[in-house]
Amino acid sequence: MAAVTFNNISKRYKDGPKAVDDLNLEITDGEFMVLVGPSGCGKSTALRMIAGLEEISDGELRIGERVVNEVPPGDRDIAMVFQNYALYPHMTVRQNIGFALEVAKVRKDEINRRVEDAAEMLGLTEYLDRLPKALSGGQRQRVAMGRAIVRSPQVFLMDEPLSNLDAKLRVQMRSDIIQLQARLGTTMVYVTHDQVEAMTMGHRVAVMRKGVLQQVAPPQELYLRPANLFVAAFIGSPAMNLITADVTIEKATGGDQPDDVFVSFGGHRLRISPKALDRYPGLRERNGTKVIFGLRPEHFAMEEDLEVGDDQILTIRCDLAEAMGAEVHIHAVIDVPPPAVDGAPIAAEDDPEALVAGTKVIARVDGIHTIAMGQDVRLAVKTHLTHFFDPASGAPLR
Amino acid sequence: MSVRRKGPKATAIRIITYVLLVVVAVVVVFPFAVAVTTSFKRNTDIFTYPPSLIPKKDSTIPAADVGLDGDPVPVFTFPARDDRPGRWALVDADASLAEFRPLDDLERVIVLDVKAGEKTGATVTIDGEEEDVFLVDDGGTQVEAYRSRLTSGGLFVSVDDPSTSVLDLVNFATPAREFGPRFANFTEVLAEKDPETNGKGVGRSLTNTVLVTILVVLGQIITSILGGYAFARVQFKGRSTIFLVYLGSVMIPFVVLIIPLFQLMLQVNWRDNLVALIIPFAFTAYGTFLMRQFFLGIPAEIEEAALLDGASRSTILWKVMVPLARPAIATLATFGFLYAWNSFFWPLVIINSGNPDNAVLSLTLSTLGGRSSTDTNLVFAGTVLAMTPPILVFLFAQRYFVENSASSGLK
Repeated sequence: MAAVTFNNISKRYKDGPKAVDDLNLEITDGEFMVLVGPSGCGKSTALRMIAGLEEISDGELRIGERVVNEVPPGDRDIAMVFQNYALYPHMTVRQNIGFALEVAKVRKDEINRRVEDAAEMLGLTEYLDRLPKALSGGQRQRVAMGRAIVRSPQVFLMDEPLSNLDAKLRVQMRSDIIQLQARLGTTMVYVTHDQVEAMTMGHRVAVMRKGVLQQVAPPQELYLRPANLFVAAFIGSPAMNLITADVTIEKATGGDQPDDVFVSFGGHRLRISPKALDRYPGLRERNGTKVIFGLRPEHFAMEEDLEVGDDQILTIRCDLAEAMGAEVHIHAVIDVPPPAVDGAPIAAEDDPEALVAGTKVIARVDGIHTIAMGQDVRLAVKTHLTHFFDPASGAPLR
Repeated sequence: MSVRRKGPKATAIRIITYVLLVVVAVVVVFPFAVAVTTSFKRNTDIFTYPPSLIPKKDSTIPAADVGLDGDPVPVFTFPARDDRPGRWALVDADASLAEFRPLDDLERVIVLDVKAGEKTGATVTIDGEEEDVFLVDDGGTQVEAYRSRLTSGGLFVSVDDPSTSVLDLVNFATPAREFGPRFANFTEVLAEKDPETNGKGVGRSLTNTVLVTILVVLGQIITSILGGYAFARVQFKGRSTIFLVYLGSVMIPFVVLIIPLFQLMLQVNWRDNLVALIIPFAFTAYGTFLMRQFFLGIPAEIEEAALLDGASRSTILWKVMVPLARPAIATLATFGFLYAWNSFFWPLVIINSGNPDNAVLSLTLSTLGGRSSTDTNLVFAGTVLAMTPPILVFLFAQRYFVENSASSGLK
């Protein structure tokens, strides 16, 4: 087991942009680190650099104490699970799992013992003499895992290992991998684009975008205190609502009364709880300017479910109501242009077809309500939980 | 499987289809069948009328069946004699016979044992010669005849009833024929060239061809695997340019290369040497292309997984890539085999001293037809020997062809 350290790592492809730009990341010994981000963010490249499948253009990569920039993949003492499993189609499960040991010229009986141990651990014992094509997707996935664990490597690398499985199996395998990693205690680097996997599996999650590391933090921290607009928008499903809003601060009349903060956008005006100011003190300096106001879907409630003042009610027209059972997602459009990160509207990044004339808002309310399309809905807003970002830099107003 | 169409119209279409297919199949297969059956015939049987596809031999029965010792006894029939039905074994080809001619019909001949007949004591003058008159048995009646000739002929015993026998001239009887392939055709054509034993020396050529073919196929497989893998997966400067040039060489027809290649062979002193049939053909741009395409189709992750498993390039190639490329290798081997086995013109040019020790099968066959055209059966035996291995190879390899084309369509 070993730590993995990225020191100013960059990856540049010939006449392309940097796939990974000055990455500094320390993955500690025994840690389960998830790399997450949209496609093309460089997470897979970073993983493949650890594996030695991509050359490192700049910087220094260490596994444990050893600098491995020039170490060939087979000598790095790592194991990788690929998205498409990459099993050897002409070998049985036993040969697949034992191949690395065979290459390393381990004694036959030792190979057998270790392969059988790994198979036992993964519930593959009865499939040992089958070919991969005779296995289901979940079983192939487990064979790929077996191939990794049989070598007891320093580091496990997993490249979207669950994305080819159906939803039910994915949930099952997710918990299996978590337990396996906890039991073996091996350092794990896990790449995914699925934020549910990222949130549930990682000790820490590294969010990447266009080759640049955005934030590394435990999942809950990532959710509660996003380091910038991108992380705020990326983590959470449905995503955080981000609305460009004007801030008005009215000086309190009484001595120790807190100031009144208002945000207004598209004809709406909300009073923000003073508690939000404690979390985002930078907001005080923003009187009369535009900020990006972030509101998670669960920060809404139907008016009758939450007692708030009249100035903390948002009235919107429901464009679409999705009844999910436990909750209802209310989709609406606020009449302000969507906020932009680096000039591109956020909504357009995930979905270029998205409506860009207004800002889409999704509210998640309790499932007991029946909401019709086209109906005006009065929503109470938990304003003390809201987030605020600088529209130019995307940085939180902390 | 799809549901079959039903109804009279569909049935009619199906019948017509099958009839046409059968007709075409017969037309295609017939010359082939003629070649195979002729290779088992006796030379004298090939141009008989009416022609027959079935190789035949003269019938015999074991000598013991007619109470004799020794060699099997030939069997004859008397198609013109209604009184001698069935098959007759010739137990004695050298029996002493006498020909009698009845006095009332001097054109008739009665063949009897030399001791048959009783002199009546009378004489008769025929063509100025005085002859004794005999009383002989002619199918149950006694007639007066004179003995026109003493000769030797056959003693025939009925196969069905060994107690009856007849005497007759052997050329009055027709040999009985039965199915009997002549395997000696093959041993003769294979045997060392020798007019005494009728050997044609094809065996040596066959050995040469087998040797050349095996080495060419092995060479092509090895060079194509190495080249194809390099072009598919190894990064090096000018890779695509070299590959383009290499592939472009497929476009050059072989006839253009014959003279330069011949000169080159003279330079390295390989004229009239089997090496000249092997080395220039152990490299194939087509095969390299085939293997490259196949290797490109194998997911890179499989190779990366092997790399992470600590395998070296050569381990990856021989333990992972080559086993996966079996269908492509089978295809390549089949093409290489057919090419090397059938190649005629280049051997004709380069194996040119008339030394049969270095000739290959295609060369020997071409001279066999002219040199010993009297032995048509042997020519056909050589032909069958030459075409059997390619047919067998194709039958075994076609599974891979099918697999190859099917695996490209379905995952």
